[in-house]
Amino acid sequence: MSAASVRAEAKRLLALSLEGGAVSSDRVGAVLAALAKSRPAHVLRPLLRAYLANVRRELTRGEARIEHAGPLAAADADAIAAHFSKALGRPVRPVARRNDALLGGFRVRVGDDVTDLSASLRLATLAKSLS
Amino acid sequence: MTFLSALLAADAAKAASHAAPAAPGAASSGPLGDIIKLFGDFGVDGPHLLIQVINFSILAFVLYRFAVKPALGQMEERNRLIEKGLADAQAATQRLAEAQQAADAKLNAASDEAARILAEARNAAKAAVEAARAEAQAAQTEVIAKAKAAIEADRVKMLAEVRGEVSRLVVDTAAKVLAENLDDATRGRLNEAAVKQLAR
Repeated sequence: MSAASVRAEAKRLLALSLEGGAVSSDRVGAVLAALAKSRPAHVLRPLLRAYLANVRRELTRGEARIEHAGPLAAADADAIAAHFSKALGRPVRPVARRNDALLGGFRVRVGDDVTDLSASLRLATLAKSLS
Repeated sequence: MTFLSALLAADAAKAASHAAPAAPGAASSGPLGDIIKLFGDFGVDGPHLLIQVINFSILAFVLYRFAVKPALGQMEERNRLIEKGLADAQAATQRLAEAQQAADAKLNAASDEAARILAEARNAAKAAVEAARAEAQAAQTEVIAKAKAAIEADRVKMLAEVRGEVSRLVVDTAAKVLAENLDDATRGRLNEAAVKQLAR
């Protein structure tokens, strides 16, 4: 298979793995089982690599990775996820991780989009404006 | 000369022999006779006079032929030579004067040419000096301007570096102070404020 056909097949497999706009573990398992039966090993390896990348990207697109300094209430995390779900038009679930280097506030990453409302960014912006 | 003297002596003796009888008659011949007698008294008589004239003529001819004429020829030759020398000297003087005049003219022309060349050289040197001075002044101005610009750029760069360094130090210090002094309650309030800001 050529690289273009591998990418196209991986994209089709990813579409089969979605349920309600989100990646479903059951569907992923079914897809993998079908692949193992229908494709020879030398074709399967690049296709699985491309499929894995698509699944990771889709999972990332469905997560709001929240870095926050200090405690963040679950309600606040849900509010952040709801904000991005509404903004992006797809369900986004929150994944929170504490990072006190941000000093205060939080930084949210959804897919390739980053929203930074941290105090460290404000200080960096202040330093840049002063220099 | 001996012959002539002897002839004159014989003639004198013959005259003396004829003088005595003729004297009365001559005395009676008048004033002419007196004159002749007077000449005779002085020793001048016809034959002697004739012989002397002939003798003198011969002498004069000989002297003229062999002494005076060559002397005159030599004198004329010398005069001619002298005149030629004088003419040559005069011509030489004339040529010398002409040569001197030509030399003076050439000298004057050369002097004028030298003065002209010197003036041109002075003008050229003056122009070259002025051009070099103007060029040096332009170069100096350019160098000064570049140096000023470089100094100003360095100053601005140093100020920016100092400002950036001070800002970085201030921000780093503020971050350290905040990191040390912020407690979880304060950070929680900051997070809530950020959530509210995100909702707006």
